[in-house]
Amino acid sequence: MSEPDDLELEALQRQLDDAFETTRPRAGFEDELWTRMQARRPAGTRLRDAWMGLIQGIREVPAVPMAAVAAVLVVVLGASVLVYSGLGRGGGGASTANLNSRSGAQPASLSSPGAFGQLPSPRFAATPKSASASGPAQAATPAADYAGQVALAWTGKLDLTVSSAPVFRYHEPSTTTADQFATALGAVLVSRPAGYLGSYQTSGFSVRVRGTVQSPALEPTYTVLPITSAGAIDAAGGPVDMALVFLAERSLAPSWQYTSNAAVSGDVSKVSLYRQFGVTGYGYAYLVDGSGERYGIEVDLNGGRPVSAIGPVPLNIDSAQYPIISADQAVQSALGSSPVSAGAAGVPTATLTSAELVYSLVTAGDHSFYEPSILFSGTFTVNGATYVKRVLVPAVDPAYRSS
Amino acid sequence: MVADRPPFEDLYRAYLGRIYAYVRAQVGSAADAEDITAQVFMNAYQAYARFEARNTTPAAWLFRIARNATLDHFRAHGRRERLRRTIEHQPAAEEDPSGLAEERIQYRALLARVALLPERQREAISLRHSGLSFEEVGVLLKCTEDAAKMLYHRAVKALKEAVEKETA
Repeated sequence: MSEPDDLELEALQRQLDDAFETTRPRAGFEDELWTRMQARRPAGTRLRDAWMGLIQGIREVPAVPMAAVAAVLVVVLGASVLVYSGLGRGGGGASTANLNSRSGAQPASLSSPGAFGQLPSPRFAATPKSASASGPAQAATPAADYAGQVALAWTGKLDLTVSSAPVFRYHEPSTTTADQFATALGAVLVSRPAGYLGSYQTSGFSVRVRGTVQSPALEPTYTVLPITSAGAIDAAGGPVDMALVFLAERSLAPSWQYTSNAAVSGDVSKVSLYRQFGVTGYGYAYLVDGSGERYGIEVDLNGGRPVSAIGPVPLNIDSAQYPIISADQAVQSALGSSPVSAGAAGVPTATLTSAELVYSLVTAGDHSFYEPSILFSGTFTVNGATYVKRVLVPAVDPAYRSS
Repeated sequence: MVADRPPFEDLYRAYLGRIYAYVRAQVGSAADAEDITAQVFMNAYQAYARFEARNTTPAAWLFRIARNATLDHFRAHGRRERLRRTIEHQPAAEEDPSGLAEERIQYRALLARVALLPERQREAISLRHSGLSFEEVGVLLKCTEDAAKMLYHRAVKALKEAVEKETA
């Protein structure tokens, strides 16, 4: 074979290396499949894994008196039985950390159910969300509220595959936490404006960090505003990729699971990365605000240039498993949230047709919780206009909620 | 022995991308590749209790499952259907309007071309470029290490000729 032929073959092999190296499944596939695999695990396998983990843990602790080992076994087995009480329905909390292990948030899982004690109840929007149904439920089109009363009916099928779900908790960040976050971005403290933990600056952008907002509930957030006109971002996949590149360049790429959405209007784009929490046996549940709107990080772009970004400050999160209500209880609670009953004269009836497990932020002083809720959605029509109706119902068993 | 085996999740995270790329090079379509990859890891998860690290490497074990799943897929759908889908899924420039994606399109075209090679050549290239040693490729293709090398080099030459023919 001639030398040019050899070189061409080597070039082709390099291309093949690159082709195989860069061919990967779509974003999200890895975690979706892992969740499906976890959900399909037989109950016996999950229990055996928990048992093996326990034995392994004990082996790694030398010279523990046998009586103490026996006591630990009894306690942990008792906890395992409780945690795995929803086995047939795909429950169990042992994999919570796995589901979130790629999130970077690495919630430390507390083994006993209800480990955070009585939880505060979420406060949802007083006026149920009735958004103009001009597009998908999560479209960025501003929602037009329907002010009148709406009766509710349910025709969907709520298949809650779990009997418990994790509750996540974070502690309120201090100014020191905010300073550390900003320092990691390469920003220096400029001032501490009222209502903020700090205002920081780099040569290219400014950052403001604030703590939890009580009402409407919002976790500690950062806001990034470019000071100098940032250059157009070189990204192949459109606004979402541009937003991700912008965030990654500032070490702000989300470390949690998310799905993305881009609302584009001419040169202006709003990219939303909707945050999700992993629930073993269920999959991923979106974080929603009090109106049922998904949220996470938002990046505004204009002509391929970032204009601003707002997102949650990365914080240490721990989790504890809590029993949740059944599907029937959730439906009854949703229907009971309307003061009027279906068929009342002059009152439109919204037919709720779908429901999903979601997470809502519940603030509580020096620490706050992400608690599971059930989000019901449906539509109703008034004067020829169709509206989307959403109803949020707290999912944590009322026995574990304070009010 | 349980102690010999890493946690399955470690294998899953480490090999998912490589297995997907291998399967994608076999079937040419992303949707089929996802389905087969899912089947591979479902099967592997169920069989992991029987995996013996002393007998084979995790990579060779997973790729064996992937190879079998791909062959099952072909048996179920037929070679003709596979070719049709492969050709249908050959990337065209208009799939991604951005010029910046040109390289990605080239790679996809290259993998689509690999998918059209004869079976053993296709497998030799896919397994080798998925990171397996010639010894492992030989074990999977039931031939010696030297024969695997030979097969691979023939496959690369055949691929080169196919690419040249296409661009001529």
